[in-house]
Amino acid sequence: MNASPRLFLALVLTICVTLATSLAPRATAWSSRVQSDTVLGMLFGDGRKLFASQFFTMADVYFHSGYYPGIFDRKGKEIHIEEATHDSAGGEAEEMGDFRGPPRDWIEAFGRRFLISEHRHLQHGDEREILPWLKLAADLDPQMIDTYTVGSYWLRQHLRQPLQAEAFLREGLRNNPDSYEILFELGRLYEENLEDPDRARNVWELALRRWQQQPPEAQKENRLGYEEITLHLARLEEKAGNWADALRWLQAAQTMSPAPENLQRQIDALREKLADPASKLLP
Amino acid sequence: MKTLFALARLTLTELYRRKDFYVLFILTAVVTLAAGSVNFFNDEKIIRYVKDLCLLLIWISTLLISVVTAARQIPAECEARTIFSLLAKPVTRGQVLLGKFLGCWLAVGLALLMFYAFFAIVTGSHEHRWPLGGYLQAIWLQWVMLGIVIAMSLLGSIHFAAPSSTSTICFVLVAGIVVVGPHLNTIALQQPQPLQTIAYTVYFLIPHLEWFDVRDRLVYGWASPAWQDIALASVYGAAYAGVFLLLAWLGFRRKSLNPG
Amino acid sequence: MSAILKTDQLRVEFASREFRGTTTTALVGLNLEVQAGEVYGFLGPNGAGKTTTINALLGFVPPTSGTAHLFGIDVRQPIARQRIGYLPELTYYYKFLTAEELLRFYARIFGLSRAESDRRIEKLLKLVELEPVRNRPIKSYSKGMQQRVGLAQALINDPDLLILDEPTSGLDPLGRMKVREIIRRLKDEGKTVFFSSHELGEVETVCDRVAIIHRGELKASGRVADIVQPRHQNLEHAFLETIGYPIP
Repeated sequence: MNASPRLFLALVLTICVTLATSLAPRATAWSSRVQSDTVLGMLFGDGRKLFASQFFTMADVYFHSGYYPGIFDRKGKEIHIEEATHDSAGGEAEEMGDFRGPPRDWIEAFGRRFLISEHRHLQHGDEREILPWLKLAADLDPQMIDTYTVGSYWLRQHLRQPLQAEAFLREGLRNNPDSYEILFELGRLYEENLEDPDRARNVWELALRRWQQQPPEAQKENRLGYEEITLHLARLEEKAGNWADALRWLQAAQTMSPAPENLQRQIDALREKLADPASKLLP
Repeated sequence: MKTLFALARLTLTELYRRKDFYVLFILTAVVTLAAGSVNFFNDEKIIRYVKDLCLLLIWISTLLISVVTAARQIPAECEARTIFSLLAKPVTRGQVLLGKFLGCWLAVGLALLMFYAFFAIVTGSHEHRWPLGGYLQAIWLQWVMLGIVIAMSLLGSIHFAAPSSTSTICFVLVAGIVVVGPHLNTIALQQPQPLQTIAYTVYFLIPHLEWFDVRDRLVYGWASPAWQDIALASVYGAAYAGVFLLLAWLGFRRKSLNPG
Repeated sequence: MSAILKTDQLRVEFASREFRGTTTTALVGLNLEVQAGEVYGFLGPNGAGKTTTINALLGFVPPTSGTAHLFGIDVRQPIARQRIGYLPELTYYYKFLTAEELLRFYARIFGLSRAESDRRIEKLLKLVELEPVRNRPIKSYSKGMQQRVGLAQALINDPDLLILDEPTSGLDPLGRMKVREIIRRLKDEGKTVFFSSHELGEVETVCDRVAIIHRGELKASGRVADIVQPRHQNLEHAFLETIGYPIP
């Protein structure tokens, strides 16, 4: 065949125009699907939750600067990033310190010279390095609530990016409107970082309502969540000088607390303040 | 020696005239740059995941180049019948094998240099630091590891006629060695006899390629391993490459090359 | 005159692919002697053992018994191949190289100096008429051109003995004529050429002596004129009679 290149080009162009015209309506439908479903999500398909969980773990690996037990490691201990957020290196470092145990043979002993063998947390702003993994995990599994709360914690507390933290939490809230955990974290952001107690109160009260909307079994499991919300509300009211409200929240917290006697002391202290007319004037 | 270098040069020419390397290099560059251009929480200082991804791609790409290039060397010579022109010259089969090994190893070494130069530029432009010592160690260790893989692929190519089978088997073996190999002693302990002995024997027989992987040190900014450890690992790598080449030579020496 | 190529009771057996444990005899006590400066035709029908003989001479196939020598050196020694050139049948040279690069590669194998390589490459590219396309990749060459580049590589070390396996196989009449011409020129230069073929016409015109092999056995050898006795019309007749084919 000795077809002219121009003829061939014209043919290709005709095919392209025809395809473009016929596919345009479908493409519009697809584009709206892409918006609702991220590219990563489409790429990973049904395995996305698995990958999301793996990416969340990667954030933890990064936080520990690569010193992290794998599935074959002796103790198989996984120190989760959310625990580390609330508990600084101390005790965790001891547990992480020897997760490999003593080497069994010369191959293992020599191999360890090439592995990371010290425990070190990211600090001085390097914590930012965990963020891509958290964002990817959130993109892949928008229902994984820990991703938003952990991401927000690092953004607002260590990286001084409260607005980014708020945006991330709002994204989480859009995907999980019933999550009291995200609302609780949002409240902390307003209270601790944006110094907006009114918004914090509203959000925590909403968080409490979401908690109460859970089925009874879930409520039983998440008693700590209730205690945390009510305690934070109590502190907020106490700071604002609303002793009566603070007392009410503390009493509510006491109903779910594993150590009600500790809270009783705080309740007594508040009652004393309420009984003293002079203290009512104090903020 | 001249014969070896002539053969090595031929393999080098083949690599840079084929598209494999360029495709993999461009793919690595595009993926790395695309990953680097993603903005996470408006923080432009984030770089470790880019380093991690780039090094992973470098590992996969150079492994691919090594296995595929080495696996096709001898079968391609036999298929095109150039092996007969070659062996009709004063060249021994051992020299052919060594020359092919040297060529593949040098070729992949050059590829490694290019990949790491790209890696250094990308990360250096973000971090404004150039830990050349660490990079050199990583390149050297990876090069030694690829030497073992190339020797293994050449051995495979003597026994399996199709380069695709050799490549697949080598990939599976390398992946198995890197992922499960270091933990075979742990796995062995949980097995009943005779599986325990078998697992332990395999553990002591396989080349421990994981020693040559110091990507984590580069990604997380840890100090490099001691030079004497690197020297010892290099000797270990050379010994394994030597054993695989010897086995390949024993097979190739007896291999019937009857073109008729 | 000493024999440049010599086989003595050469026997080659292969393990049978179809029946395990059995062997196929490819050569049965083959005795050949090629003298310096002669063009020696090695004839036989397909499957007669021509290529096996060449493979044994080049050390690709180990003899089951008997010996083969080139320049008086056992063929199992690589040095025996220092002074020979070999053109295998139907070879597809490294397609990513140009003709010049291919010849340079083989020149390096022989450890030739840069100046000497340049000189020989120039001469050979002229000889095989590939000079205009010397920088084109081999993958763009026609079959005839590939065969000629093969011939050039066989000559890169200026060999004293040239072994050609079916050098004109698959070539068009023009290509064959060119190859024949090259063989004649090599003979004029005093080279010894040993080539296998079943193109009897070209053997008749080019060779000084021939050997006819059938089913691994040497059936006849000698000068073309001696084999084509008065009772045969030509070499084809003589050949067919020698291998036992009924001539009408």
